Amino acid sequence: MPLADGEAFHPTTPGVLKVATAFLPAPGFWEGTPPTKGFEAGLAADLAKRLGLQRVEIVHVPFPKLVAGDLGGADIALSQLTPTAARMRHLSFTTSYLLAPPGILARTSADASDVHGLQELRWVESSTSTLTPILESKIRPLSPVVVEDRTKALEVLRAGMADALLLDLPVALGLAASEPGRFHVLGQLSDDEGLAVALPHGSANTEIVDSSIRALLADGTIGRLADRWFPVSMDSVALILTK
Amino acid sequence: MTPTAVLLTIQAPSGPAFEFLILFAVVLFGPIVVSRLGLPGLIGLVIGGFAIGPHGFNLIHAGDTLVPELGQLGLLYLMFVAGLELDLKVLQDHRRSAIALGLLAFALPFLGAAGLGTALGWSVPATCLLGALLSSHTLIVYPTLRDAGLGPNPAVASAVGATVLTDTLALVVLAIVAGTQLDSGSPALLVGELVLGFAVLVVVGFVALPRIVDQTLRRFGDDPVARYLAVIVALLLMGVLAQVFGIEGIVGAFFAGLALNTLVPNEGPSMERLEFFGNAVFIPIFLVSIGLLLDPSVMFRGNVLRLAALICTAALGGKAAACWLAGALQHATFPERMAMFVLTAPQAAATLAITLVGYEIGLFGTSVVNAVLVLILVSIALSAVLADRVIRRMPVAGIRAARIGDKVVVVAAAPGPSEAAVRAATLLSRPDGGHGDVIVARAASEPATELREVRRRVVRNGLDGRVREEIGELPAVVEKELLTDHPSVVIVDDPTFAEIPSRIPVMVVDETSPTLRLNVDGELATEIERRLRRRPATSQSAVRPD
Repeated sequence: MPLADGEAFHPTTPGVLKVATAFLPAPGFWEGTPPTKGFEAGLAADLAKRLGLQRVEIVHVPFPKLVAGDLGGADIALSQLTPTAARMRHLSFTTSYLLAPPGILARTSADASDVHGLQELRWVESSTSTLTPILESKIRPLSPVVVEDRTKALEVLRAGMADALLLDLPVALGLAASEPGRFHVLGQLSDDEGLAVALPHGSANTEIVDSSIRALLADGTIGRLADRWFPVSMDSVALILTK
Repeated sequence: MTPTAVLLTIQAPSGPAFEFLILFAVVLFGPIVVSRLGLPGLIGLVIGGFAIGPHGFNLIHAGDTLVPELGQLGLLYLMFVAGLELDLKVLQDHRRSAIALGLLAFALPFLGAAGLGTALGWSVPATCLLGALLSSHTLIVYPTLRDAGLGPNPAVASAVGATVLTDTLALVVLAIVAGTQLDSGSPALLVGELVLGFAVLVVVGFVALPRIVDQTLRRFGDDPVARYLAVIVALLLMGVLAQVFGIEGIVGAFFAGLALNTLVPNEGPSMERLEFFGNAVFIPIFLVSIGLLLDPSVMFRGNVLRLAALICTAALGGKAAACWLAGALQHATFPERMAMFVLTAPQAAATLAITLVGYEIGLFGTSVVNAVLVLILVSIALSAVLADRVIRRMPVAGIRAARIGDKVVVVAAAPGPSEAAVRAATLLSRPDGGHGDVIVARAASEPATELREVRRRVVRNGLDGRVREEIGELPAVVEKELLTDHPSVVIVDDPTFAEIPSRIPVMVVDETSPTLRLNVDGELATEIERRLRRRPATSQSAVRPD
């Protein structure tokens, strides 16, 4: 009977929390070799502890497969995922563990302070990102470079073939901190999106993982992780107003 | 540009204006729709919340923060109003029976929950929180019984008084459980923080806050907006103060309601405004935000329905046993015990508040939330059905003997009452949590009264009352008041006033004598004299219980 915290978590491998993630390394989220440092790495460890599991095992799954509902046999996915109606058809999501408004990661040479300035930048966008419709509707870039996923978009940005990329703000902050000479965060757009844990669609573990995320939010564990891995507060990033 | 091109520029509605439109449409139509099915309006709001939420038409998305944050304010407001509306005088008048019923109505459902939680393998904090949830209740059916003339019945009165105790105990348990989940310090530190927190809440809430609010209302209270905001600031202050000590904000809000209980009389204009905004905006939005959590795919799962059945049994069985035992102690009849049950069974305000807190701190999952929503529906529906039977089977107790301070009416000739008359009205009404009306009588030929100035004088003396003008001779206005408005006392601010035969106390005052003449004697007269001998109702004395 699934009853509040009396409910047990049923892992695919006894005693192990198998976590799928797409981006390794992901600055601020998954760092180190093996990737045991970072916000999501810490969250996975705390989650495993709360669920009474002994260790965490990482499973690398490409992002398009992940959002299509294939977790590669993992129990959960922690991969900077934003819940959307389309994704909910393939995955079950928990409560958001981190607010993630859209943040503009730009080359240090690029600058803009309003929506007109942003429009004039050279943009790269990922066809699988939930932020692309926001970019198209709020900024309307003139002729963006379209690529398959975030990894390719970052390659385009690093190569100087584009000036800016829209990412979840914590992700943008992590990347800017890891490559300070190359990137900076130009600003954020107004939105109330958040990052959440994903589970296989209809998983019986959804409720207990969801309750555990809320418990970790309430007791300050997640706040402490965010303070540790995102030293630049999201509130300090300039808000750029769009229509 | 072609019409098709123009049409293509039209965008799907989104943004805060759209969300508010959806929200207020639910607030308007939800209760209307369900009331046609004979269900209470709050059910319509919860179902409406489900309809627009992520498990319904997804007009309000799962990650939305606007509605849940407004809902949080609504939750504080709900608990504040719950504290304000409680009749503390009834608790005082029926102290022994109310305490007996209050303790039993708290303890027995709590024990039921403890057994249930243990049997299901829940942790101690989750089990205690379930106990707090089931032991609280909301006086939803009371207005029905009161309107049927059963208010003065000792069984009904003791159930009303018991609510103060059960809800306070439930919220104390909530504070302790939530504190253990939120605080990562040692148990000794946690206990110390909670004890200090409650001490601060009691001192600030029951000593400092009423005086500060009273003083503020006297100084700025002639402006209805300032009057309303002063009370809201007090509510939020107590909510924040509780949170500072790791206690849930709703506990502070409930304490604020109890603390301002006599300053904001139930029938007075301040309460009218609080209830208006609460019922129109804040509380419905909270209920809609609860509806966002309702998930039929969860609620109608066999195991959730079984859990709901167990919770209903523990809650309603515990309340029934408590009422039976308390009734036996009071030598109450069977219909009287049923009356106690229909008053203590409905689960709404505190239940929802505790459930939401349990959900937010991760002790309850969506299964429990949905099972509790079933409990709320069942308990309210059952009580509503049984209330009709109680009304048919219980003898009408008649109109409750009005307390002296229930509704004090001051009648004065233009240009308005003296300071002494208004002060007397405050001294008489405050101890009973009553309110006052001030009527200025003038002849048709006289110029209109400057009511704004009269209103200032009324609030300066700490009276929560309406001010109005009537055309007519003063004796005729007094007579009409006595016949039509059911006052508890009439204060006539005219030493030349000739006595009118009436069973309602009529007191004649002037500037020099607070009770120049009184048409009653005996205990009533003694009590009036005693109240008027108290220190003038300044901010220092106004809120002291009599």
